[in-house]
Amino acid sequence: MISLHGVSLVYPNGVRALDNVSLEIAKGDFVFLVGHSGTGKSSLMRLLYREAKATTGTIVVDGIRVDRLRRNRVPALRRHLGVVFQDFKLLTDKTVWENVAFAMQVTGAHTRDVMRQVPRSLDLVGLSHKSRMYPTELSGGEQQRTAIARALVNNPKILLCDEPTGNLDPANTTEITALLQRINLKGTTVVVATHNQAVVDRMRRRVVRLEDGRITTDEERGYYYLGLGQGQVLSG
Amino acid sequence: MDSGKVKFFLGEVLRNFSRNAGMQITAIGTVAITIVLLGLFLFIRAALADVGARLLDQIEISAYLRPDVTNAQVAAIGRYLAQDPRVASAKYIPKREGLAELRTQTRGAIDTALLTENPLPDKFRIKARVPEDVAAVAATVRRLSGVGNVVYGQKIVQRLLQLGAVLRRVGIGVIVVFLAVAGIIISNTIRLTVFARRREIAIMQLVGATNTYIRLPFICEGMLDGVLGALLAVGLLAIARATLWPRLLEALPWVAMSAAPVDPRLLAAELLLVGAAVGILASWISVGRHLRT
Repeated sequence: MISLHGVSLVYPNGVRALDNVSLEIAKGDFVFLVGHSGTGKSSLMRLLYREAKATTGTIVVDGIRVDRLRRNRVPALRRHLGVVFQDFKLLTDKTVWENVAFAMQVTGAHTRDVMRQVPRSLDLVGLSHKSRMYPTELSGGEQQRTAIARALVNNPKILLCDEPTGNLDPANTTEITALLQRINLKGTTVVVATHNQAVVDRMRRRVVRLEDGRITTDEERGYYYLGLGQGQVLSG
Repeated sequence: MDSGKVKFFLGEVLRNFSRNAGMQITAIGTVAITIVLLGLFLFIRAALADVGARLLDQIEISAYLRPDVTNAQVAAIGRYLAQDPRVASAKYIPKREGLAELRTQTRGAIDTALLTENPLPDKFRIKARVPEDVAAVAATVRRLSGVGNVVYGQKIVQRLLQLGAVLRRVGIGVIVVFLAVAGIIISNTIRLTVFARRREIAIMQLVGATNTYIRLPFICEGMLDGVLGALLAVGLLAIARATLWPRLLEALPWVAMSAAPVDPRLLAAELLLVGAAVGILASWISVGRHLRT
């Protein structure tokens, strides 16, 4: 579903954000990208939805050669992806319903499809009853659930989450994590970049660790801190 | 057509438009002023061209005949002038009539009664079909036998033709400057809207909206600025035409000018089109600049 080979990313100011990264993520995987701030988690995410362009290496996302993608083909790639951020990126002058519908409307979806998909997406995140409220009237967790509903409304095969719980308290974090797991169970490939140790340790899913722009470990059932999960991986 | 889509799209455009109403009013006002100036300029140019054309139309060639001209020669000249396609009309004026004309033209300032003999030669009064042919017709007539001096307003014809050319050139320059000003102002307004909506644009890009789709509401907004400005301008010009123009015609009765040198509906359509085009172009450029980054 996602594959990177020898990918490096050097920003125009000379900072080498990623250095010879190779990674395979299969369909239906759930992957945590962990590492300190500035180790390249977000850069890696940005490469996947072509917000940044790889300096070298090949990137394939859902069959699309992202590293070679022409600018006018970027919208097509993004319609295959859902992206969620720490700051939700909701429009405060639109209701929950309108925020979710927006993602379909601006990609030219037929109104009939909008009317069918938006309620489904809101139902999945459990916000059907708040569809007429504005983001400012919602809790942080509900705002992030709105953002997730928007990311899912076009039925993407891949959901990319960059610090989805970064702005949330523990209770909301638990709620969002459970939601991501539910989405993954429905077959969506989920990639989560996070600092949040509790989330990673509770979930016990694949953990890819980045340090100074390189992948240092890649554990099938990992913990946030290196080594804690080794026993289980070896025995299991 | 999907009515829900249309409603969504129009809603976006209207929301944009009303978001910074102050700036929109400024843009529309400036466009209106610019287009009023442009309209006035086009009108004055047309009026001047009209006056020039009328003056040129009135230019006559006087072909004075030699004192020793024979009746056969006069007849031959008349036949030639009748068949030359460049000649609109030709009239033989014997010296007696010429003197009478002179008397009326000078309104008695010259006392022709003092003359003991008529000093005027016989002449043909010739009008060319188009002003540009006047010089050529004059040259041909001069070579006919029996013709002495040939006189026409050489200087006037040349000056008027030159004036027309200069006006056209200056006109294009002035129009370009006006339009550039209107374009820059609309472009700035759109840039403000783009800035106010940068979050929305970022989200649109994130969920895979095409640049064309993102651009469209802004283009419509720019077009709306241009068209509303032009409408206001056309309204002002129509009022000016209804109130000031008749008085101007009255005040300048000696200016040979038609009551309507330009078709007002055509001018209005042109100005509206210009407003729309400037709005579209200006917003296209300013959104494009944002999307490229």
